Amino acid sequence: MNIKKSILLRVRVAFLLVTLFAIAIVVKTGVIQFAQGEKWKEMAEQINVKYKKVKATRGNIYSDNGSLLATSLPFYKLAFDATIASDDVFNQGVDSLALMLSKFFKDESKQTYKRRLKNARSTGRQYLRLNRKMVGYQDKKKMSGWPIFREGQLRGGVIFEKVDKRFHPFANLSRRTIGFVNENHRGAGLEYSFNEQLSGKDGEALYQKLAGGGEKPLFDSNDIKTENGYDIESTIDINLQDVTETALLKALEYHEADYGVVVVMEVNTGEIKAISNLSRSKAGYYFERYNYAVGGLREPGSTFKLATMIALLEDTNISLNDSVNTGDGILKFYDNTVRDHDLGGYGTITVQQAFEKSSNVAMAKLVDKYFGLNPERYLQYIDNLGLSQPLGLQIKGEGIPKIKRPTDKGWSGITLPWMAYGYGLELTPIQSLAMYNAVANDGKLIKPILVKSIRRADKILDEYNTVVLNDEICSKETLSKLKIMLEGVVERGTAQNIRNSYYKIAGKTGTAQILENGRYTKKYITSFAGYFPADDPKYSAIVVIKNPKGWRQYGSSVAAPVFKEIADNIYSRDIDMHKAMPKEFIAEKDVFPIIKSGNYEELSYICNQLGISNHRGDSQDDWVTTALKGNSISWKDNQVSTKYVPDVKGMTLRDALYLLESCGLRVNIKGKGRVVNQSQYPGSKALKGSTVTIELS
Amino acid sequence: MRRGDSILSKIDWLTVLLFFVIVMLGWLNIYAAVYDENATQNIFSMSLNSGRQLIFIAVIIVLIIVMLVVDFKFYDTFAFAIYGSVLFLLIFILIFGREVAGSKSWFELGAFRFQPSEFAKFATCLAVAKFISTGGFRMDQLRNQIVLFAIIGVPAVLIILQGDTGTALVYSVFILVFFREGMAPTLLILGVSAAIIFILTLMVENHWYLYGGIVLIAAAAIFFSKRTRKRIVMVVLGAAIIVLVIKSVDYVVSDILKPHQQNRVKAFINPDADPLGFGWNVTQSKIAIGSGGAFGKGFLKGTQTKFDFVPEQSTDFIFCTIAEEHGWFGSFIIIGLFVCLLLRLIFVAERQKWRFARVYGYSVACILFFHFAVNIGMTIGLFPVIGIPLPMFSYGGSSLIGFTVLIFILVKLDAHRGQVLVH
Repeated sequence: MNIKKSILLRVRVAFLLVTLFAIAIVVKTGVIQFAQGEKWKEMAEQINVKYKKVKATRGNIYSDNGSLLATSLPFYKLAFDATIASDDVFNQGVDSLALMLSKFFKDESKQTYKRRLKNARSTGRQYLRLNRKMVGYQDKKKMSGWPIFREGQLRGGVIFEKVDKRFHPFANLSRRTIGFVNENHRGAGLEYSFNEQLSGKDGEALYQKLAGGGEKPLFDSNDIKTENGYDIESTIDINLQDVTETALLKALEYHEADYGVVVVMEVNTGEIKAISNLSRSKAGYYFERYNYAVGGLREPGSTFKLATMIALLEDTNISLNDSVNTGDGILKFYDNTVRDHDLGGYGTITVQQAFEKSSNVAMAKLVDKYFGLNPERYLQYIDNLGLSQPLGLQIKGEGIPKIKRPTDKGWSGITLPWMAYGYGLELTPIQSLAMYNAVANDGKLIKPILVKSIRRADKILDEYNTVVLNDEICSKETLSKLKIMLEGVVERGTAQNIRNSYYKIAGKTGTAQILENGRYTKKYITSFAGYFPADDPKYSAIVVIKNPKGWRQYGSSVAAPVFKEIADNIYSRDIDMHKAMPKEFIAEKDVFPIIKSGNYEELSYICNQLGISNHRGDSQDDWVTTALKGNSISWKDNQVSTKYVPDVKGMTLRDALYLLESCGLRVNIKGKGRVVNQSQYPGSKALKGSTVTIELS
Repeated sequence: MRRGDSILSKIDWLTVLLFFVIVMLGWLNIYAAVYDENATQNIFSMSLNSGRQLIFIAVIIVLIIVMLVVDFKFYDTFAFAIYGSVLFLLIFILIFGREVAGSKSWFELGAFRFQPSEFAKFATCLAVAKFISTGGFRMDQLRNQIVLFAIIGVPAVLIILQGDTGTALVYSVFILVFFREGMAPTLLILGVSAAIIFILTLMVENHWYLYGGIVLIAAAAIFFSKRTRKRIVMVVLGAAIIVLVIKSVDYVVSDILKPHQQNRVKAFINPDADPLGFGWNVTQSKIAIGSGGAFGKGFLKGTQTKFDFVPEQSTDFIFCTIAEEHGWFGSFIIIGLFVCLLLRLIFVAERQKWRFARVYGYSVACILFFHFAVNIGMTIGLFPVIGIPLPMFSYGGSSLIGFTVLIFILVKLDAHRGQVLVH
């Protein structure tokens, strides 16, 4: 074979190879597409089946009266398996279904929907997501009645894929305390702290992967059932929370402060009724970003003087009338100076005045005098107040108090006198509040709680009762002295501006300079901690506002008014806290019979009989209240519904009973006459089976 | 215009046309592979593979113009320099490269990522062509053969080290080029037989059948041919070697191949054994192709090749999209286009009088053939899955640019074929 022939042969081999291979491919493709088509179709159905996690429904978080704070609402992805419906069903229904879809979603024309449905049908698509928008439960019910869809999943091909979404009926109220849990199982607040109980147990179910993306459940006996999460009953009072947040927000906006915290606690039980943390965003609005109440350590400043007074009164024979010389308000310790707020000082004052006027010099001087040689003894009182340890709250992320010990590095000659008026140590607002609450609670220190119980329907998993941390933080004598001084702060001292004649507030202001990079700046953390009504304390609360702008930067002028606003609000609605309204407030005797509220038919009948002119105006309800206009009566709608607690003040017992019971409430009656007070606030959600107390007079 | 003045009048327009038809069809199919009816998508959207592919297409057009302008002697003169710098890049990447999906073959320059192994192909073609075309080269000299195998072996080994065995296998196709240039066919025959024996060993569970078959064939060979002593010794020796190869297959499969390579071999031998496990890719690919039927479901109407049923649907398994949406006839047309291009390239290579250009042309045709055959072969179960793209068709900038350079160097050389003296 000569070389030329050989090369030619090899070239032909090359051409042949390419051609042969191409033929092989074409043949094999044909075999797969024609001969084995069915086989691969079956294979597709078989192999695309797998077990998939099914998420358990997360438990709810309730407020103290059963209002929902957080819940999981089902939403549905709407998809369509175009291969399921019979030709009859599909062809008859496709037009109207397309119309319904177009009308419902309002994004595409009827023609577009029809084209998509038909395309999916002709290409054998098993999963056509009809719209990216998820539909709610009510809409899903409605859709289940639509043509084709009404045949169900197995014969019509509609697929509703459930997705739970966390929903907060009260939007941002107490957002950080309710908290959240993200996909990586990190989070904050109650959602995070009680994640295990709330989340329940996920199950498993058999799913088939569908052509077109998506999955459909297959029913299988091997499914693992999901176990839904437990519900959490929190101590939050939604009305109080609302009041608290509103008051705090108003103050923060006015003072353009960095952040603010308010915690309101029930004195006897330790239940936290309201907790609000608002931080300023860069854009200048406020939102819940961090739970400062629980985790925000800061120097307490003057509110800590309460602890100092406890130590002094318990350990020494000091009396409230003993005098202290505060001089010109400046006291030197080594190279450092203690200063009082008021320039020029207070001169010689009593111990009581020193507390009420919040003299730093007096506190530093007294503590140095009595404990200077034995600081550990002073610290024992702090320990006894539970201030050196975290409280062990139910919510995760509690700050650990930072209190120096004489054995610690950094302890110096000025540590103790500075600590006496609340510097050089760090506490969280809730820890300070616990101390004030103990004073209000006759010396009994209790743990603040946020969750009352964990339950599913009637099955209770855990119940949290009041935990007493220290039965007696100090002697009875000390306690009564403390109370006198705390009331004195409002009556005569730094917080005179919140004094009122209706009820007494007891508390202490605080204004602490902020330490930045080791230097005290001209910025302040203002606070007010206390309780009310002072005679028979029901609630204790703390208000902390960081870095208010402007010239009024004291605890008395920034934090105390917030406290008062909240206290006023609680006072005005809490029947147990105040005496009933005097009778003359209820009815103008000369002009009109005592009836102020009731059934329109009956009241107008009485008025007409008595010859009192009355006008309906645009009122149309059966139930009305009255307003006086000169010598005539005008009727106003009382807006009664069975969903909300009606306003029954001024009604007769018969009317009040009828209305309250028709809301499903249990009625507890005190006294006789007209209703002057009701324990559930009008307009709040009527919780069936709960008790409402009405007071008649 | 004087004859021979314009490059445009001399380039092989048929090759260029076939090239661009394939590129544009590829682009449309990349869009189809990622298309989702429910999302408002645009073929030009940069968030989609199709949008990015369009950018790459724009890049290659510029590149083609540059390549046609550069003097044709550049490639001959700098063949070894180009080869050397690509080798340097390959070594560089082993040290500093970025790992993507288990293989360290990506190179990052800001937002731009590329795979030097795609450029190693044309560099190796140039080096092989340059070496064979040097004066006095004779294929039958052992020394020359060793050098040639080193030229293709070094980049292949570097690419294997990067963890991209599939791309490295492409270099084996140069043996066909050597064969065309006069190398004895023994090696080719031995290689193919070894591959057949290897696969047979895996397919037949009881090896005694194989041994029996070998003994029969050996006996027949001795019986029917001239029974010289030398021949008998040769046949017996050959049979013994084959038996040894069979014995070694198990060792190779279980000890030398990495687990994912073992699985690919297993999936190829018996794809139905574990369709959910190692057979997943091929099974899904076949389901998609099988659902296409004669005429397919229509453009953008495929369901299997979208939504992640078929893996790598816009790169390695792009052929599934064609088969599903355009059916058997659509596949036939695409295969036809590739075959036309391949035959044209061989024809162009064959008409070169300059040995450098001819060898280069053959190398290009062979590489393209290997990619085409293996890529489509693996989607329909004719080859194990080794993850190499369909030339000009699969999504990917490096691959598209690599093939463009490969083909247009040949187009350039071909345009000047009248200007070179025959050696």
